[in-house]
Amino acid sequence: MNTIEQQLWDYIDGNLSETQRKSIEAKIESDISVRLQYEELQNLNIAFGEMELDEPSMSFTRNVMEDVALQPAPISLKTRVDNRIIYSISGFFVLSILGILSYILYNTTFSMPDFSKYFAVNLNVDKILTPTSLYIFLGVDLVLGLIFMDYILRKKLGDKD
Amino acid sequence: MKQELTDLELIQNVLTGNTGMYALLVKRHQRFVFTLALRFAKNREDAEEIAQDCFVKAYKALGSFKQTAKFSTWLYTITYTTAMTFLRKKRLDTSSISDEETFLQLENHTSAFNANVYEQQNSHAFLNLAINELLPDDAAIITLFYKGEQSLEEIGEALNMEPNTIKVKLHRARQRLKEKLQYLLKDEVKELL
Repeated sequence: MNTIEQQLWDYIDGNLSETQRKSIEAKIESDISVRLQYEELQNLNIAFGEMELDEPSMSFTRNVMEDVALQPAPISLKTRVDNRIIYSISGFFVLSILGILSYILYNTTFSMPDFSKYFAVNLNVDKILTPTSLYIFLGVDLVLGLIFMDYILRKKLGDKD
Repeated sequence: MKQELTDLELIQNVLTGNTGMYALLVKRHQRFVFTLALRFAKNREDAEEIAQDCFVKAYKALGSFKQTAKFSTWLYTITYTTAMTFLRKKRLDTSSISDEETFLQLENHTSAFNANVYEQQNSHAFLNLAINELLPDDAAIITLFYKGEQSLEEIGEALNMEPNTIKVKLHRARQRLKEKLQYLLKDEVKELL
């Protein structure tokens, strides 16, 4: 639906591109019927903009505040968290998991060529991967999981309200 | 001269315990919320109930308000959902009214038009009368666009629709409003325009 009336409304609302704007302006200039239609719509637009809002009863604010007084005071549910921080943390953990998986795969006794011959990397991972560090890693994962679950539940509750 | 607090500043005041500040937010937005509710409810008592309910809901959820968006857009979303729930409760089917039916309804309405209305010659009264004859969604879109200072995207957010749908609906609503004004005012429409 792209009638001349639609184009005129778009022109009045300022929703047209430069080319479309010039094209409709040319039509308004050259075609008397388009110009009359444009003037009519422009006047309607002004009239719509001047419509008056209705006023509720005088006691409206008081009634709302009386209802509000019965409710617990609202508190900010969360501080805003920068998404980049969340992505960095998740990136770190994804890389860590991949690292651990690679290490496990590397240490399993598959009949694979002996890479150590070719890659003489002297990295003692056993020292890093102590039971304590694994517990810490899993603990942080658990906390992140709980935060994520809390976020999902809050969102669901918010949608219900 | 003391500068008026913005919506966000008022919200922060309320969230830090100065709950009395909420009255200022209510006063600032009550006319618009009430008018929007009236577009759906069509009578003042119901509209006032919806508007009141809407402000209480907004207060309860104020802590979860994402302060990156406009408070008014968020408030209008609440108004829209509250009004729809209210209408559903009242079992009013607002969406099944065909154009023909509304036209007939308009005819009945205008037949009951008394001399006083004509005597008023008040363009605003006629405009409000014509808006009231529109479907609730159309009337809400017109009101949000012209009086709510909302962009097509923001209206889409408030009414849970795509901005392009809003654009088409706005166009149709304006067309219908024009027709209804022409019908109501006949020759006098030129005076209004």
